[in-house]
Amino acid sequence: MIRLENVTKRYGSETVAVRDASFDVAKGDFVFLVGPSGSGKSTILRLVNRQERPERGDVWVAGQNVNDIPDSRVPFLRRSMGNVFQDYKLLTGKTVFENIAFALEVIGKPRHVIARQVPIVLDLVGLAGKEDRFPHQLSGGEQQRVSIARAFVNRPLILLADEPTGNLDPATGEGIMSLLDEINQTGTTVMMATHDHRVVNAMRRRVIQLDRGVIVRDQERGVYE
Amino acid sequence: MIARIAYAFREMWASFRRNLTLTIAAILTSAIALLLVGTTLLIQRSFDNLLVQWKGDVALIVFVRSDATPEQIALIDESIRSAPTIIDVEKLQYLDKTQTYEEAKRIFAGDPVTLSLLTPENIPSEFKVVPITQDPALVRSLSEQYRSLPGVEDVALAEDEFEVISTLSRFVRTVTLVMSLVLLFVAVGLIWNTIRTAMFARRREIEVMKLVGATNWFIRIPFMLEGLLQGLIGAVLSCGGLWVLNSAWTSGVAGFKPGTGISSLVVPSGYLSGVMILIVILLIGALAGAIGSAIAASRFLDV
Repeated sequence: MIRLENVTKRYGSETVAVRDASFDVAKGDFVFLVGPSGSGKSTILRLVNRQERPERGDVWVAGQNVNDIPDSRVPFLRRSMGNVFQDYKLLTGKTVFENIAFALEVIGKPRHVIARQVPIVLDLVGLAGKEDRFPHQLSGGEQQRVSIARAFVNRPLILLADEPTGNLDPATGEGIMSLLDEINQTGTTVMMATHDHRVVNAMRRRVIQLDRGVIVRDQERGVYE
Repeated sequence: MIARIAYAFREMWASFRRNLTLTIAAILTSAIALLLVGTTLLIQRSFDNLLVQWKGDVALIVFVRSDATPEQIALIDESIRSAPTIIDVEKLQYLDKTQTYEEAKRIFAGDPVTLSLLTPENIPSEFKVVPITQDPALVRSLSEQYRSLPGVEDVALAEDEFEVISTLSRFVRTVTLVMSLVLLFVAVGLIWNTIRTAMFARRREIEVMKLVGATNWFIRIPFMLEGLLQGLIGAVLSCGGLWVLNSAWTSGVAGFKPGTGISSLVVPSGYLSGVMILIVILLIGALAGAIGSAIAASRFLDV
């Protein structure tokens, strides 16, 4: 589903974000990218959804070389993946329902599809009944659930999560992790960047560890160490 | 599809209201710029009315008495054609009474008193002569020659009637054109800035839109519509202004003494070219808005 082949990415001429990285993630896998801040985790996510282009090497997503996709087709690539962030990136002026509906609206889904899909996904993330709240009326964990619902409402093949538990207390983070696990059970490939030891150690999934842009460990059912 | 169109218009309207002060500034600037463009076109159009009989390098007009016999007219034609080294025989034109009357309707558009004295029966017909020679003295001596022919009422020389107005027309046209171009440029810049601000205010939304796979066009179109609407509203305002201006000028000119050259410097309202000018202004307004916002939308889409 996701394959990196000898990928190198630099910002400017000095900073090497990712150096010669290669790995292969099968469909339905759950992968942690771990390592300290600045080790290149986020850059890998940004290479997969083509917010960045590699300097050398190839990034493959669902059998397509991301580098070969013309700019005009990138939106269609992005429709096959959902994104979740540490800071949720919810629109403060819109309600929970509108935030999720927005993701369908802007890719041109008709109103009746939106009216059907949004309640289903709200139910899945456990926010049924809160569709008319605004983000500031929700707790951090609930806001993150809205953002996961928004990422998942279009049933993407891949879910990319960048430190989704970074702003949450451990108990709330656990809830988010079991939600991501549930989404993974539906066949969605999940790639999550984190430096949260507890989360990684509790899940025992594949771990790809980065250090200053270099993959130093790629282990099935790994721990953070 | 309907959902997309509805979305675009809803977003355009929301953004339009959110940025009211900047939007008003952009609209007023484009209105004034377009008013000047329209004035330029009107001035040009009215000078054209004034100069219509001299179009195409005509330097000499031989007016033939309305009671001239066909033989006399043939004789005049023949004697004009007898100097093919001095005048361009190919371009020699004869306007019969009906054609001359049509022309007079434009020349005396703002001078109904004079026009009412003319009928297709009592109006002279005319020969329009285009010279080959560059020597004005030679053209002048030709005019003396024609004047003595039987049936000729009068001979008019461009040099006497046309040159001053033509120079004035060129000068006025250049000045107003340059001014309106500068103002148009300012209007595009203001629209650009309004749209840029609108996009900056909504950068989070745009970021989310890009991440969930909205196409660039989908993101851009509401902003471009907004700019287009600003240009269009400006154009509508300037059309109104232009109408008022032109009516005031036309009725003012009608009060002048008949026979002064100024009297043809009008575009009577309802005249087809007046409508054409309004359409041109609306188009320019819409285009200026679209260009300003398109530049903004493509340059500031990367958030």
